[in-house]
Amino acid sequence: MFGYIVPEKPEMKIKEYELFRAYYCGVCKSIAKRHGQFERFLLNYDSAFLAVLLSAAAGEIVNVQRMRCIAHPVEKRHMISGSGIVDYASDFNVLLAYYSLEDKRRDDGGFVPISAMLVLRKVFRKLKRKYADKCSIIEMRLNELVQLEKAKCASMDMAAEPFAKLMEEVTAYGPLCKSENVDKALRWIGYNLGKWIYILDAFDDLEKDIKDKNYNPLIYQYKYSNTDIIEFKNEIRDKVEFNLTYSLNEISRAFELLDVKANKEILENIIYMGMLRKTEKILGTGSCNKVE
Amino acid sequence: MNNPYEVLGIKEGVSEDEIKKAYRDMVKKYHPDQYQDNPLSKLAEEKLKEINEAYDYLMKNPSPKRQTAYNGNSGGNSGNNAKGWSGQADGEFFNQVKSHINSGNVKLAEDMLEGSNNRTAPWYYLKGLIFMRRGWYDEAYNHIQTAVNMDPSNYEYRNALGRMSNSNNAYRTNSFNRGYNKGGPDLCTMCQCLYCSDCCCECGGGDLISCC
Repeated sequence: MFGYIVPEKPEMKIKEYELFRAYYCGVCKSIAKRHGQFERFLLNYDSAFLAVLLSAAAGEIVNVQRMRCIAHPVEKRHMISGSGIVDYASDFNVLLAYYSLEDKRRDDGGFVPISAMLVLRKVFRKLKRKYADKCSIIEMRLNELVQLEKAKCASMDMAAEPFAKLMEEVTAYGPLCKSENVDKALRWIGYNLGKWIYILDAFDDLEKDIKDKNYNPLIYQYKYSNTDIIEFKNEIRDKVEFNLTYSLNEISRAFELLDVKANKEILENIIYMGMLRKTEKILGTGSCNKVE
Repeated sequence: MNNPYEVLGIKEGVSEDEIKKAYRDMVKKYHPDQYQDNPLSKLAEEKLKEINEAYDYLMKNPSPKRQTAYNGNSGGNSGNNAKGWSGQADGEFFNQVKSHINSGNVKLAEDMLEGSNNRTAPWYYLKGLIFMRRGWYDEAYNHIQTAVNMDPSNYEYRNALGRMSNSNNAYRTNSFNRGYNKGGPDLCTMCQCLYCSDCCCECGGGDLISCC
């Protein structure tokens, strides 16, 4: 479910790319420093995006340093350090990864998620205490999600709601949300991000879910009945694309209302191009007419 | 008031034409039509007001020469023609629901609709608008589509449906203007070119990529 929010690298300027990577490395370093080396493996691009977005909305003056890290022992890399927002993004990277492991354990069982959860247990407890309010909302939403899955919900909007609300909560970074306008815009970005991720993931997993007889809202909404999977995908593609693009458009509209001072080009690149590219790749539309 | 140049996203001291162009672009971007049925419409309104003020200020206080005052604020006529159903018996009811939606009281509007058994075209249309505000685009589209099917002659319903489809085009146009899929080779073509030039090299005795 994670890692869909990526930049469109070929359209980036090198300085933008470097800065984006500095955020990415900053999140990674922050995880390692504050939680541990193992937790580093949970790193994903979405948290880097969150850090860039919140940092821009806050107008934060960042401190970029050249440092060494374990993953790249030879060359020093730029990374952002000492930023409260980067720390926040890294905390939620770990938290969400833990919740997603829990979800995996419930769905598929198996040894890997359980052992990973055991390792993360202590860090998870610590973070849960730190973000008690947000965590209780996240857990409530995840619970709703499980209920909807059990009830075989046949509406993608309804099925996507808990995850969208969950992402809304993560994006609404406390210190920034004291301003009502920023709070509104950030929450709407988060909501639509969650929605986009959920529906994109549903389409991406369609084949696997049909094969494994797992729940997938698209199967029920468009009444899949043992026909050819490719044909089914062709039938629903336009509808799914409409919904995904609509969410992206809403993200862009809310973003335009945020008074962003820094990182504007990076964020525009991701919102207008990176995420559209990902959508088209997974849907199998656009210039490379092949499904990823 | 914020720095008017910053508000319009331009450098200080640019020419009047550039100010006008920036202003036109900004108005287009934050026009109420762009944010209709959107929970952030109030924010967009504020932003537009700020832009109008900044533009007014710059036009009234140009750096070297005085300019005739700019009159009227653009972005006006997006008024909601809430007449729609005045001829019908329950027109009053639906108008009420609609005004609740417009004032942001979506919960109340929804409760009112749910309490009504009158599943006519305006019911589906208003339900669609509520879904839109909540972010349920699929349901919104389906409901408004139902309204259009039930009452194909209603301009307002068709308009709302058209707006939903158009908004996706607006996003794509924006992506394109930023360089997405614009001219230039995409990755597939680039691979092809590389492969072709490699074949040519091989004919000539050299080899660029050893594996093919």
